[in-house]
Amino acid sequence: MMAGVGGGNDFQWCFSQVKGATDEDVAEADIISTVEFNYSGELLATGDKGGRVVIFQREQESKNRPLSRGEYNVYSTFQSHEPEFDYLKSLEIEEKINKIRWLPQQNAAHFLLSTNDKTIKLWKISERDKRAEGYNLKDEDGRLRDPFRITSLRVPVLMPMDLMVEASPRRIFANAHTYHINSISVNSDYETYLSADDLRINLWHLEITDRSFNIVDIKPANMEELTEVITAAECHPHQCNVFVYSSSKGTIRLCDMRAGALCDRHSKFFEEPEDPSSRSFFSEIISSISDVKFSHSGRYMMTRDYLSVKVWDLNMENRPVETYQVHEYLRSKLCSLYENDCIFDKFECCWNGSDSAIMTGSYNNFFRMFDRNTRRDITLEASRENSKPRAMLKPRKVCTGGKRKKDEISVDSLDFNKKILHTAWHPKENVIAVAATNNLYIFQDKLN
Amino acid sequence: MVAKGQKRKLLEGRGAWESQLQSVLDISMEKFHRDQALVEPSLLRSVLISNTLRQVQSEVRAQVESLSSVKMPTKPQTHSGLEPDFPSGSPSSTEHNAPVFSLNDENSNTEEDVMAWTSEEDFSLSSAISVILKDLDTVIDAGQGPPRAPLGSVENLTGDARHTQYPPSSSRTERASNVVPSVKSEAACLGCPQDVVLEKLLLDIDTSVFEPEVNLLQGFSVTADDLVKYLPSLSKSPSASSSSSSSSHGQATWEIQEIEHVMDILMRTYPQS
Repeated sequence: MMAGVGGGNDFQWCFSQVKGATDEDVAEADIISTVEFNYSGELLATGDKGGRVVIFQREQESKNRPLSRGEYNVYSTFQSHEPEFDYLKSLEIEEKINKIRWLPQQNAAHFLLSTNDKTIKLWKISERDKRAEGYNLKDEDGRLRDPFRITSLRVPVLMPMDLMVEASPRRIFANAHTYHINSISVNSDYETYLSADDLRINLWHLEITDRSFNIVDIKPANMEELTEVITAAECHPHQCNVFVYSSSKGTIRLCDMRAGALCDRHSKFFEEPEDPSSRSFFSEIISSISDVKFSHSGRYMMTRDYLSVKVWDLNMENRPVETYQVHEYLRSKLCSLYENDCIFDKFECCWNGSDSAIMTGSYNNFFRMFDRNTRRDITLEASRENSKPRAMLKPRKVCTGGKRKKDEISVDSLDFNKKILHTAWHPKENVIAVAATNNLYIFQDKLN
Repeated sequence: MVAKGQKRKLLEGRGAWESQLQSVLDISMEKFHRDQALVEPSLLRSVLISNTLRQVQSEVRAQVESLSSVKMPTKPQTHSGLEPDFPSGSPSSTEHNAPVFSLNDENSNTEEDVMAWTSEEDFSLSSAISVILKDLDTVIDAGQGPPRAPLGSVENLTGDARHTQYPPSSSRTERASNVVPSVKSEAACLGCPQDVVLEKLLLDIDTSVFEPEVNLLQGFSVTADDLVKYLPSLSKSPSASSSSSSSSHGQATWEIQEIEHVMDILMRTYPQS
């Protein structure tokens, strides 16, 4: 049992905050569907199934309130997407936010992209803490003044007001995806971004909403021949011409946009040869990649499939350089997990700021962290039982067979309805956000 | 001759595999049917489930083939044209004590070959495999024709047919769009006045609308030639038609009847599951 995940020094993860309702009855709309820190880590955004975005802001250190140092509090809440009805196909389009991606901050306002299955929106979140008072043509309450009664002109002055955070949709990128959008990724040029659905990837310019370039199209001429779909895509963090996309067959393709307008032919093809001894009916399903993330350095990428996380060196296509088992004890239960649909759950994964550690979720509200240097791993639980302020999290262990030790939990007792699909790691500090159904947990390293 | 002990071991080893195969098949089929009922099933899910079903099918075929290669040396070749690699085997069926399975074309020979040289000991295994094969075919054919309400009758169609008349299931309408073009091409070929009405009807159906969702196990086997067989009256129409006003009224009702007939054919070409 590991005390913490090292990266030079051992971390000790402590409970910091939990956001969300405490009722046993979870409203479907409140289920968190995406979590993302912005580039500085000052802001933390969540999207939910009800189409809402909630942004938390980190409190500045203050001598007045030392205990709330580094706490995240609600900064802005807005309805990003509404349910829509496609009349042509008689289909309802879910308002669930699939992904949020922040743009790097270039002025006082913050910008983020949020997407549901069909439409991507660029939101501007800006603060207003001053108000102009003393207009000539209207009163303070907005009523128009009678122009004939105005005898003198005055210059309006800016007066302080209570801070108001406004979110306004600045761009709507619609009608470019026939299939369900699974990924969006901002390019390092900060001018373009890509969006991927099951069969196609489009490249957009942030300023242009009525056009996008289709850069990948894997739709076969005859849909009966379809055996593979795109599951995730991401732009390279530094090379604005490079992006990767993963597939349902466990492969990753790296494409260079300089090679041609259509990137159907990959520059690199990453696939691990299958281990024939572990082949089963479910081999393909569990090899389907649910998430792909470049390291901050841009030298590695990480993929998440059903049972493991793999780190790939971009210079080596034939196998990953590191493989971490997330919950290998589920391998013998694949048939039941297929039956109850859990095998289709899409877990995400994330890097820490220095790329020395990776994190991903599991069932029973467990999440796992792996230290790439020491090869140590730890299993922690997001639960209200461990929610005393700054309480240190106790490592958890799943008993796979034989005698169950105290504090261990057996595989059959795991709650498969409590799944941690979305996690995020602060880009600079050891602060993590873990989404557990409708609750958002924030944990901090004690040494932080 | 394969010793009885060896046969039994074969059966026991098969038992575990068989039960897993059966459960994977059952679960996959249940999911497949459930997804079919959805308005817009997830494409990723559909692809994974259909790939699993294909894998099950190929495993079963491989096992049946290995069964036949085990059996072949022991049984006399009573079945004419018996080949180790079916389903392209010969068609005769009545000479054997085959149980009554109503299989569709492709695997009927396979199943009969299996049944032909099975002894009582292997009967349970072979029958289990043939049930599995039959189920697989049902799945694949069911992909072509889901148990849904048929298309609306022709005389109710207006100019806005594509918006109001077509049912919410996009996968069903995708199937309709696959059928329609072949009828359309057939109608175009006939080049007679009656099919102008039919063509106008078909042109109303904008097949590009139904692009997104598709049934991945679709192996729609209706061809234009098949449909021609069912449309004898249309091909005879040039001789029957005349531009005289006396026959124009009769012609109009006859056209409507013909269109209804075509729609009946379209509905009937969805095999009943």
